[in-house]
Amino acid sequence: MNIKKTIFFILTVAVSLTAAGHRWGDSAHSIGLITSKGGKARHPAALQSGETGYSLIATATVIPPYKGNARVVLEGEPKLDYKIHLSAPVVDLKLHRKPELRDDVLYDLQPSDRIALWVLMKPPVLDPVCGMSYTNEFSKHTHEGKDYFFCSEDCLETFRQAPGRYQNVGVRGKYTLAFYDTITGNSVLNVPVIFKTKEDTHDAGGHHH
Amino acid sequence: MQADTITDKGFFMKYRYWIIIGGILLLMPPLSLLFQFSQDTNFCGTWCPRMFFSWRKGMTGGEFLIGFARSYLGVALVFGVLISTFFLGRYWCSHLCPIGGSMEVGSKIVPDFLKINYSGVPSSPVRYGYLSVYLIAPAIGLGSLCCNYCNFAAVPRIFGAAFSPADMSYFFRTAGLINLGLVVVLGFLAKGGRAYCNFLCPIGALDAVSNRLGLRFGKRVTVNEAKCNACGICAKACPTWAIGISDKAKIDQLSCMPCRECEKVCTREAINYGRFKK
Repeated sequence: MNIKKTIFFILTVAVSLTAAGHRWGDSAHSIGLITSKGGKARHPAALQSGETGYSLIATATVIPPYKGNARVVLEGEPKLDYKIHLSAPVVDLKLHRKPELRDDVLYDLQPSDRIALWVLMKPPVLDPVCGMSYTNEFSKHTHEGKDYFFCSEDCLETFRQAPGRYQNVGVRGKYTLAFYDTITGNSVLNVPVIFKTKEDTHDAGGHHH
Repeated sequence: MQADTITDKGFFMKYRYWIIIGGILLLMPPLSLLFQFSQDTNFCGTWCPRMFFSWRKGMTGGEFLIGFARSYLGVALVFGVLISTFFLGRYWCSHLCPIGGSMEVGSKIVPDFLKINYSGVPSSPVRYGYLSVYLIAPAIGLGSLCCNYCNFAAVPRIFGAAFSPADMSYFFRTAGLINLGLVVVLGFLAKGGRAYCNFLCPIGALDAVSNRLGLRFGKRVTVNEAKCNACGICAKACPTWAIGISDKAKIDQLSCMPCRECEKVCTREAINYGRFKK
């Protein structure tokens, strides 16, 4: 057996296994069905707290008999800055009718349509101690080259006493990418988007392509 | 082994780059022509050629077959590629694939001094090491390489990013940046532009097996040993470093695609594309 080939084979398997098993915390993929009766997400989209930005690809198929226009909203507190883009041909040759996205509303959803939305999310600046969203009254404090913002002297003092406890602060908990029919206001799909800390991402239940 | 007939020496050899560029213009953004016939915009979804043959742990037979139905055009593409390769060699890889073709054409505009020569790395062990993990890791629940490291997702979005915020979004994620890095380092910066194809493309890996299995039945690039003087000029021209030189040039049919760059440079006309004879 050729030793060089064996070494390269083993090395490749080791690197590939590491790559296959690692999950990047700043991105997720959800698959859903848009229906008149509230829709169905195959699984929650899992993201990791502490990142500076996130992206979610939300793909969905429209199940008959639903048709209409649906507003897409990312719900949850504290509010995230987000932008939604619909994957669409750059030059539309008009070979098929397709839904369009304008001002976060999907227009002209028809049975069997498939959509792919890219949701780019940016977490707000939070007080790392109490979790409050940033306002102009916050004070800035720099620790180990990184800026932190605090709502009060108390929070700053708490942070100073044990800065290590607050390093991984970020958006946490459950959000929802919600789709509402614009006429009835009814939900046609809810995709849970869960931000977890590093300690509990192992059971995050994310879609793992 | 050598070819006993010499066929179509002209068109596919002479105009290979133009065929690749034509494929890129038709299949990649902004036009994405092929995909628009099926209400798609890229290789994801109906056209996905990578996911349908990946068995995930816990999957039922029915779910596996639904994957074939969901990506039926990708299934047709892959089977079409494998069957055509069996008889004609890897023309999909060398002439038609807009993914590998983009990397090879891109590498042509990179100055030589920046290029990385990967020919010291044996390609088959890397290719089949990667393919093994690609197939086995999801089957035993150790993760997946399907979507996170997908050349068919990354390359079209490099073209689309200039025009579409959705395509640009792909590069706002760590996995997207890693894919971009792989395409740059193993594609655009690789000598010959085909190291990605040679190492990390699962379709290329399956296609190479078809190429090897169909050796006796189809046409391949082969060396006429009576004419070869082992000068080695063909090995230097090969983008997939598939040619070894000992007393004669020998072509590894697990890495060869009929780009026929070797045939172009051989001064003794010792390399031809045609049927094998023992």
